[in-house]
Amino acid sequence: MNGLKSLVKAREVPVFLALVVVVGVAGIANPAFLSATGARDILLGVAIVAILAVGQTFVIVMRHIDLSVGSVVGFTSFLIGDLYDQGYGLWGGLAAALGVGILVGGINGFLVAYLKLPSLVVTLGALYVVRGVFNDYAFGRTITAAMVPPEVAWIGLNRLGGIPVLFLIGLILVVVSGFIMRRMRSARDLYAIGSNPAAAELAGIPVARRIFTAFVTNGAIAGLAGAVMLGRFNAANANSGIALELVVIAACVVGGVTIAGGSGSVWGAFLGAILLQAITRAIGALGIPQFWQQAFNGGLIILAIAFDKYLSTRVKTTTIMGSDDD
Amino acid sequence: MMTRFGFSWDKGVGLFLIIAVVLGSILSDNFANASNLSFVLRDVTEFAIIALAMTFLIISGEIDLSVASTLNLSSASLGFLYRAGAPFEMAIVGGLLVGLACGLFNGWLVTRLGLPSLAVTIATLALYRGLSYALLGNEPVNQLPEFWISIGYGRIPGTFIPWSTLLLVLLAALAWFILHNTRYGRWTFAIGVNQEAARFSGIPVERTKLMLFAMTGLMSGVAGVVYTLRFASASPDGAVGFELSIIAAVLFGGVSISGGIGTMWGVIAAVLSLGVIRSALQLAGFTANSLLIVSGGLLLISVIAPKITESLRIRTGAARKGNTKTTIREVGNE
Repeated sequence: MNGLKSLVKAREVPVFLALVVVVGVAGIANPAFLSATGARDILLGVAIVAILAVGQTFVIVMRHIDLSVGSVVGFTSFLIGDLYDQGYGLWGGLAAALGVGILVGGINGFLVAYLKLPSLVVTLGALYVVRGVFNDYAFGRTITAAMVPPEVAWIGLNRLGGIPVLFLIGLILVVVSGFIMRRMRSARDLYAIGSNPAAAELAGIPVARRIFTAFVTNGAIAGLAGAVMLGRFNAANANSGIALELVVIAACVVGGVTIAGGSGSVWGAFLGAILLQAITRAIGALGIPQFWQQAFNGGLIILAIAFDKYLSTRVKTTTIMGSDDD
Repeated sequence: MMTRFGFSWDKGVGLFLIIAVVLGSILSDNFANASNLSFVLRDVTEFAIIALAMTFLIISGEIDLSVASTLNLSSASLGFLYRAGAPFEMAIVGGLLVGLACGLFNGWLVTRLGLPSLAVTIATLALYRGLSYALLGNEPVNQLPEFWISIGYGRIPGTFIPWSTLLLVLLAALAWFILHNTRYGRWTFAIGVNQEAARFSGIPVERTKLMLFAMTGLMSGVAGVVYTLRFASASPDGAVGFELSIIAAVLFGGVSISGGIGTMWGVIAAVLSLGVIRSALQLAGFTANSLLIVSGGLLLISVIAPKITESLRIRTGAARKGNTKTTIREVGNE
């Protein structure tokens, strides 16, 4: 393997360069953007989406999708506060959050992997059911700062070595999952499944089990991300996490995790999330009305997928069979 | 979808609609009266108009997540033009054209650049919403002409049927006719079952898809105008999150997300059922949460049930004919 060559070719590089340009331009125009507080704002704001984007990557590289994460993360952020308030302590809340995540991921995974149902439909159904159960459970109550476990509030407020703890949690997650996705055989299988499900099956990969595991993993990450969300906002209500799923998928797509499956990395998704967040902040720093933020994000996503298309026609990767890619 | 003469999912949804109406009337005395029925109809109209076009798109194997943002951008453009001094009728035409343009842009990205529609329309979901904000700022446009508001909210004299429902019925009839009785409908199915085969048999795949996206944009524009008139206001933050509800309704109506399968009446029955259930649950004192659980549950059942009956059928060895279609669908999916 030629290290340098593969580094230049890596899909993460243009995302990173775009990030440098955005930060550079905004920093020159408005030095406050580059200040420690400015950078911290970005890192703090991005943590939740970045963490969920890492989990979502496992699913998207298999050419599947999980729309239920917004409902799950909202529910568990509420649950952690509520159980702490009822005297179950931090660990009781975290265990319940993990349980909810694994349960939802497990049901999604079972339906997709073993009943071979389309993941878009299954997880869309799960989005509604979980949100409904959550709203029923919350029933107009809100989690206030006083009900947040002090450890959770601590990770939301503090920094280690100048970097927000929330962001460090995301960084640890991406380092660990990045290593797993590159080195572990079972994780490499996910790419094979996404490139060509039928071929993966013929090659002896236990496709159903891998799909199931990936959904459970993503569910577990979303469940535990509830703690991150609660730490970030120090509050939760029945609307927490609403519409977050499409933001997460957008971050993956910008980071080069292609919807057609088979390519992309957790680092890309992570950078994609940071890039989208940086642009949001840069728009403010450049004095452009905040209204334009979503329009910029939309334009960026189109650029990213057009770029992916350009790469795939040029480099002829093994991602897609035939012309099934449209 | 299943056997030719037996139970099929779209018939089931029709039956479900009837049961929902009957149950609603039993559960609450206020359900079947004129004002509630016209409320139910008005409440589903924008959903239904977009669902008609979305049905074509999903049958062809594509998807459009930007419809709610398109609806809103068309509403915002209408408001913007009217605030800038254009006559209201011109503003409506402007809103419709913007909807059409949004659809064409989606279609262009998908068919000309060959990008996946799921990713493209997640992007334009953000883009069109952002443009609505850019057009209107944070100020909604409220002072709309009385006459048009009365059309938007009023009923056909002497009935409980809102004017917008008349529009919906016309569009639904047209959509039904095109999907099930013209070559464009057959092309849509053919593309959804197997795009390559469709191309080899001479179907203009790209042009048809571009047209379907344009139509979806235009219908979202129509829904945007109806929405503006109903609420007598154009604002940048309307209809947030509609896209997934519309897709859920279409899928619940028996359209396969893998393409190639679906009927127009199934979708119409599904949209109406969801409206009826929402109203019935509210009148019976349930909260909006139950509706979320019910719609999610129905969506899951709509994909699980055919799977179970299918495996039962295979086990009993009956009706081998139906299976060929399933196989095609699964291959197309992979």
